[in-house]
Amino acid sequence: MQNSEELKWALLIASLAMLAMAFCMIAFVMYYQKRRFEEEKRISDIEKNYNRLLLDTALNSEETERRRIAQDLHDDIGTMLSLTKLSLNQLSKLVGNSGDEKEESIMKKSQSLVEETILHVRRITRDLVPTTLERFGLMEAIEEFIHKLEEDNNLVIAFQSNTEEFPRQGQKLELTLYRIMQELVNNAIKHASCTKIDIVLEIDEEMIGLRVTDNGVGFDPEKIKESNLAGLGLLGIESRLAIVNGTVQYEQPAKGGSSAIARIPVNPASGNKPEPLHPFRRERVNI
Amino acid sequence: MFDSHFAYIVNNPISSIAVFVTVLPLTLTIVRRAFVDQSLRLLFCYLLAKLVIDLAMLHLASNRTNNIIFYNLSIPLFYALLGGMFYFKFEGRSQRRFLIASIIGLFFFCAWDVVNSNQDLHNMREHRVVLYSKTVEGVLMILLILLYFYELIKSLQIPNLLTFPFFWICSGLLLYYSSLIFIAPVIHYAYTWNNTMDLGITEFIPSIFEIICALLFSVGIYHYSPKDYAKQ
Repeated sequence: MQNSEELKWALLIASLAMLAMAFCMIAFVMYYQKRRFEEEKRISDIEKNYNRLLLDTALNSEETERRRIAQDLHDDIGTMLSLTKLSLNQLSKLVGNSGDEKEESIMKKSQSLVEETILHVRRITRDLVPTTLERFGLMEAIEEFIHKLEEDNNLVIAFQSNTEEFPRQGQKLELTLYRIMQELVNNAIKHASCTKIDIVLEIDEEMIGLRVTDNGVGFDPEKIKESNLAGLGLLGIESRLAIVNGTVQYEQPAKGGSSAIARIPVNPASGNKPEPLHPFRRERVNI
Repeated sequence: MFDSHFAYIVNNPISSIAVFVTVLPLTLTIVRRAFVDQSLRLLFCYLLAKLVIDLAMLHLASNRTNNIIFYNLSIPLFYALLGGMFYFKFEGRSQRRFLIASIIGLFFFCAWDVVNSNQDLHNMREHRVVLYSKTVEGVLMILLILLYFYELIKSLQIPNLLTFPFFWICSGLLLYYSSLIFIAPVIHYAYTWNNTMDLGITEFIPSIFEIICALLFSVGIYHYSPKDYAKQ
């Protein structure tokens, strides 16, 4: 009888111990799985941040390099060209006095070539560093860009915004939006064979939206990505947007052509007015 | 007509609840269309077989007839159905081979155990519970569950285990077989026609965990969604 009682207790204790182990095992699996997921997420976040930092650094370097080239063009080549123009002017007076028509014609041709070169250097400098963007803001920079394009191409470019006074945003954000607009418009001109481009800039309390629509041949972004034809254009847009937590969406309007919409969270410029991005000052860019 | 059955249910409420609670996961399987998933289809078959066998055993028990033959025969059948669920969950060929071998092995082992535990097979009145088979089944099931848990952790495919049906099913099985593993061999000596051995509260532990297991099955099936079938 005593043995039977002991057996009952032994069985009860053994079963309870086994059950406790089973409970512990279930709890351990849940805990360990959760911990591993958190760890994976942490590693993925670190990788993401690192890639973002790399991208940010690369874009910063690109802007710094653009500024350096613009500065060199203006300070060195620009100055030398201005001096050449002055010298040619003086020489032109001397040649004019001699009365040789042939010499005079060569002189005028040289003067016009130098003037043209100066204009080209100015244009390249302005293209490299959008000074209007830093001085006057995004709307003015876009308008200037459109004006220049319309001069050079047989294109109709319409620009509209949902606000008359577009509030100034952080330097990085404005530059990002400007470069994306540049890239999308250039893509439309190069690849879409379009005759009309619409640029719409919208801002609300949380987001800024930039829509570029053309009436060209249109494209399927997924197919382009799959076939590795995206090149630096579309990838560059996505990379720039990743840094400012933005997104881009491509659409094919029913009436034809293509439309790209970039959306970026609003980031108003800080209280102090940002340092003007002047191409003619040697400074490090911190975008 | 059912007086003896009612009397039996009233006298043995825990083991009776363990029989009828199977209806809950069965109904949920039909409502949630969980049988679309191959593993859950086998679980559905198990639940159906278990309900039929349990009801048959309850009927015989209430008519004071030895029903242990059903218990003995259900061991390889239940292991084949429950273990079979893991066949669709394991990705490794060696694990699948082990599983099939264990199902076949347990079938023969159980047959030997029935013969070994009963001197006269034709004497149904004195038929006794197998001595080792239930314990072996428990060990194999626990092994399969632990193997599956290991693969689950290693693969990191399920972000939230609490909404993953098969995790709840495995947890229920692990608890049930853990509660049974030490008691199973003793049942051979306790459940005889002229029972002289009283196990006390220990006797109810497997039934209690059978109920908990059915409830955990229900939670798992409740979390099943045919939309996520491909992901599972």
